[in-house]
Amino acid sequence: MKKTIGRIYILIIMLFLYLPILTLIVLSFNDAKSMSVWTGFSLHWYEELFQSRLMMGAIVNTFSIAILAALIATVVGTLAVLGMAAMKPRQENVLMAFNNIPMLNADIVTGIALMLFFLMVSWPRGYMSILFAHTTFCIPYVILSVRPRLNKNTDRLFEAALDLGASEKYAFRKIVLPELKPGIMSGFLLSFTMSVDDFIITYFTRGAGINTISTLIYSEVKIGIRPSLFALSTIIFVTALVVLIIVNVRQNRLDKEMARSA
Amino acid sequence: MVAKKRFATPFIIWIIAGTIIPLASIAYYGFTTREGGFTFSNIMAMFQHEHMQALGLSLLLALISTFICLLLAFPMAMILRESKWGKQGFLIFVIILPMWMNFLLRTMAWQVLLERQGVINGLLAAVGLPRQELMNTPGAIVLGMVYDFLPFMILPIYNTVSKIDNHLIEAAYDLGASKSMTYTKVIIPLTVPGIVSGITMVFIPALTTFVISNMLGGGKINLIGNIIEQEFTVNSNWYLGSGLSLVMMVFIIASMLLLQKFDKTGGQNLI
Amino acid sequence: MSELIRLEHIVKSFDDTMVLNGIDLSIAENEFVTLLGPSGCGKTTTLRIIGGFEKPDEGRVWFDGKDITDLPANQRHLNTVFQNYALFPHMTVGENIAFGMRVKHKSEQYIKDKIKYALKLVNLDGFQNRRIDQMSGGQQQRIAMARAIVNEPRVLLLDEPLGALDLKLRQEMQYELVRLKKELGITFLYITHDQEEALTMSDKVVVMNNGYIQQQGTPEEIYDEPVNAFVADFIGDSNILDGQMTAEKVVRIDGVDYPCIDGTEQGFPPRLMVDVVIRPEDIDIVPYGQGQWNGTIISKLFIGVHYEMLVQSEDGKIEWLLQNYDQHDVGEKIGMKVDPENIQIMHKPKSEAESAIELDI
Repeated sequence: MKKTIGRIYILIIMLFLYLPILTLIVLSFNDAKSMSVWTGFSLHWYEELFQSRLMMGAIVNTFSIAILAALIATVVGTLAVLGMAAMKPRQENVLMAFNNIPMLNADIVTGIALMLFFLMVSWPRGYMSILFAHTTFCIPYVILSVRPRLNKNTDRLFEAALDLGASEKYAFRKIVLPELKPGIMSGFLLSFTMSVDDFIITYFTRGAGINTISTLIYSEVKIGIRPSLFALSTIIFVTALVVLIIVNVRQNRLDKEMARSA
Repeated sequence: MVAKKRFATPFIIWIIAGTIIPLASIAYYGFTTREGGFTFSNIMAMFQHEHMQALGLSLLLALISTFICLLLAFPMAMILRESKWGKQGFLIFVIILPMWMNFLLRTMAWQVLLERQGVINGLLAAVGLPRQELMNTPGAIVLGMVYDFLPFMILPIYNTVSKIDNHLIEAAYDLGASKSMTYTKVIIPLTVPGIVSGITMVFIPALTTFVISNMLGGGKINLIGNIIEQEFTVNSNWYLGSGLSLVMMVFIIASMLLLQKFDKTGGQNLI
Repeated sequence: MSELIRLEHIVKSFDDTMVLNGIDLSIAENEFVTLLGPSGCGKTTTLRIIGGFEKPDEGRVWFDGKDITDLPANQRHLNTVFQNYALFPHMTVGENIAFGMRVKHKSEQYIKDKIKYALKLVNLDGFQNRRIDQMSGGQQQRIAMARAIVNEPRVLLLDEPLGALDLKLRQEMQYELVRLKKELGITFLYITHDQEEALTMSDKVVVMNNGYIQQQGTPEEIYDEPVNAFVADFIGDSNILDGQMTAEKVVRIDGVDYPCIDGTEQGFPPRLMVDVVIRPEDIDIVPYGQGQWNGTIISKLFIGVHYEMLVQSEDGKIEWLLQNYDQHDVGEKIGMKVDPENIQIMHKPKSEAESAIELDI
């Protein structure tokens, strides 16, 4: 009985989460532009999407900015974690407090603040300003993922390597870096997704004539929804599905291996 | 350790350029007139009727959405904890997946469903019922907020709930607690950190949004986010926009501090 | 035996807290030396200074006649078996053991042979391709040993290497360590807070507390002739009683004058207030009224081979700890007798630091 209620509840939540997305997917194959009448199967909204220079440009911008911002944030953030480890606790706490600001602040405030900064230093708003803004909000995520990996245990392993005759550089490369790697990887991935997903900060820090997927969707929706956006939704959804399945399967296989060998 | 303090230099520069100076410039514009003089009027402008109304409405809608999210998420987290699907990560996967879709597209989906010419009204018409005005209502905005932010409430609560040691619950039963007492005295108190971080992750974006209200409110319903956005993009009054942003920021910080009081772990689970 | 390591007046403090207050210590070639003391006594800091992980504020460290105080850790001819082992989690057992040799650019054939030899030595033959997290605590301990000894150090530093193991495994590993030490023929510097470990394995035990060396000597010397109440209490259970020398070689304990073997010659002149240590197994039980002291048994505990009893003195001021093979009942009145040579007379501690008995283990 209890189980049945639980299952029904899950089902309702799932329907709530997925019905709207499913609707978009179905409508993306609808021949007509109508949102309520099915007139036949067609792929021409996908055609329209792929022929849109604007959309292709936005996709390239979105992903190139995400990769660059995640890369820069990963390097700056990881170095910061190492640097802070050499500091006194008080200095470290001050830096961490500042580090938390962009994460706790509302995106709209961060976006506006960065926009005003670009105006004040007369930094022309465009690709580079978006990249700078994205890197700014990505660094905290990198620091939060990497920092827990650098702890007493890492110190001990580092000392063990020295004890065995390794130079400090060698010990860092062979022992400390592999220890930090999972944190660095998850920091990078987190940054990448945050950047791809961002709308509000991009909206305030972009200039005229440059779009990411988010800002393009926003301006198109304001004019009037075209079914090519449904096609875009379908593509994004399927991509996310595939990526997450691959990650999950790999994780499961890893877990099983661990369980078997333990 | 091999690390040197100077490794943090790029980070410190980035903090100064990306966080401190930008926030300082908001503060500068917020206390400045167009002519460059010092003023409190941009701050005090929050007390004007239309701004207070927008802030009040934002607060109301954000509170309602947060509450609904909490109401929906807690049972979900508990079911996930007990279900073997939850442990295998399948259900978690299903909850994370929508988060990976651009939230503008997710909001757009509700526009497609709710519009006068949209899916729901189409279905109503098909069975001969009159079309309803579903869009451009506060209800539509709440619906959009709940839809967009629900996973952000479920995940942190699930994270804390799944870490509760089963022995604690068994111990409560062993000591004679009823099921409801076990919930109120053991499970919910232990879940507080997750609830607090879930609330922060839903309440702040809901309070400050201008996108959801623009898309599902048809520009007719003004939230505080819309007012601020318009000051920057339409009216080009950065001074007023900055002043209102400052007040909103103080508002957020205050509500977060209030929230932190309930979380004895001091916000460790915020992310 | 020639001297291999010498510590000369080592002083070290962290954030204004004195950790080492002038340590002088000499370790001979091929000796098994144990630093024994409660946590916070400075034993780990001493080891880290020898290992090169800390620099002393004052004093010098000598190794084989050379001053190595400023030599970095990676250039010292000694290796450490760390507390909790510090095995590299992302490497296999074999890669862990190979690490030190790879750093020194040994040939792959040499490395292969050495790994095989070392694993055999620690009874883990054939485990080189396992992952670290597949190994049990005891196995990890052996791998840490293997990783250190393949580098042919002249001294092996062991920082509470058995601390994380359960009792049975710990006792097995004690024999194992003594065997390894014999086979390798190198110096062991061992750290522990476990007095049994220290007494079982060592050639020399160095008892530390509050950054001072309290006593050093063979296990027998430490056990039989502790120099102060701290050492006596730390090494095994003891009755530590207030006493006073009342005449030459006569000490008054609990109101009874009693002959002992220490006198003015040993530094205990009449009238001096002293600490008296009597081991619980040295107290014989005799019929009531026939011993030097009388008392009532107030509790009894059977611990394996013998009984442990608490006996309250007639005036209720003193509780004696006794160990005896015979069973007596709680409430029974008994007499107690001690041979004069089993009464240890000690000076009362002079300084605060010496008196602090922190058995926070």
